[in-house]
Amino acid sequence: MRKTTLSLIIFIAAAIFILQSCYPGDELTYSDTDIVATFYDKDADFSNYDTYIMSDTIYTFDDESQSLIPNDDISLTNKTTILNGIESNLENIGFNSTSNPSDADVVIAVVVTSSTWVGGGCYYGYWYYWYPYYSWCYPVYYTYDTGTIIIAMIDRSVTEERPGLWIATINGLLSDASTELQSRINQNIDQAFSQSPYLGEGK
Amino acid sequence: MKITQIKFWQLLSVLALTILLFSSSYAQREQWYGALTYSVSVPAGDTKDIIEDIGWWGLGLDYRYMVQKNLSVGLYFGWNTMYEKVTGLTELNTDPPGAIYGTQENTINSFPIMASIHYYFGERKQLRPYIGLNAGGSVMLQRKAIGIYLWDNDQWQWGVAPEVGVAIPVERDFGLLINGKYNMYFSGEDAIGNDVNNAYWAINVGFVWEP
Repeated sequence: MRKTTLSLIIFIAAAIFILQSCYPGDELTYSDTDIVATFYDKDADFSNYDTYIMSDTIYTFDDESQSLIPNDDISLTNKTTILNGIESNLENIGFNSTSNPSDADVVIAVVVTSSTWVGGGCYYGYWYYWYPYYSWCYPVYYTYDTGTIIIAMIDRSVTEERPGLWIATINGLLSDASTELQSRINQNIDQAFSQSPYLGEGK
Repeated sequence: MKITQIKFWQLLSVLALTILLFSSSYAQREQWYGALTYSVSVPAGDTKDIIEDIGWWGLGLDYRYMVQKNLSVGLYFGWNTMYEKVTGLTELNTDPPGAIYGTQENTINSFPIMASIHYYFGERKQLRPYIGLNAGGSVMLQRKAIGIYLWDNDQWQWGVAPEVGVAIPVERDFGLLINGKYNMYFSGEDAIGNDVNNAYWAINVGFVWEP
């Protein structure tokens, strides 16, 4: 084998060794994991919904009963920040609040996961007395970190199990103990609404 | 979409070694030559909407058979990597539809495998500009990672790669090769399933050896 060919073989071997990583990637920082995912019912006409009711309870998933139960682990500060953030965004895009369930077009349910949660499936809530039927389904299957905030907008008139009209998921946010948490909550809730301009249609 | 990472570099190494061995065995016929190039990828077309950054990792392998004094046919193998980390919004045309905002890492590994034809200007053993056309396709490994969300879409995409270049002789059977191949693919999906026509420039610099 000639020298030229031999040197080329060595060159190729070295190059392949250097280039062998198909997915170079970087290490993710904590803020890199801030993710806001939103999904919506493509058949929904959001101009038909302009009044909402939102419980002042934040829920978590109960795996055994496949239902929502109150999440008692959330600090009052975080709870207030979350609920105020949702409320101000809803009102900014033209929704009106009501305390009378029969006047509401949609129910807003807020969930914060207290363990790693494999998303997907349908859940009942303790607010079923707001009649007629408030089971709703999370439409996408993923695994979410502890401390994920889920905001579900449910059509109050629906009488069957179906995905929420609009679902926002903010991954793993409340597992952060840093001082920046409050601003990150606000920032990410704002982002959820700003990437869902259809919510404000017709208002 | 599937979540499978295939070690194509292993396949590429086998191809490279096979080509070099054939190169040696056919050396006496003075009809073949091979080229090994370092390849830089410059995203274009729909690919540029996914990744804007230049990809600095890549390889090109050419093997050409001279059917006439100024005309060759052959094979082209490549490996082009493009990567970008950005923070932004990705619309999902899924069911249900939606959008995801976050820091995302987009990666494309393209492994073109094409037949080629080239026409050379000038005389053998002199500086030879050439033009050519490569036709075939590419194995595309495409990944989008947004935090905990990960989409992989590995597929074959048909395409062509027009090429211009120049071979610069250095020794009797050895030279330098510089070329640009505009890889464009006619059909395919990106990592999250949207229809795209991937395209990128592969700028190649390397060695050419001939009998």
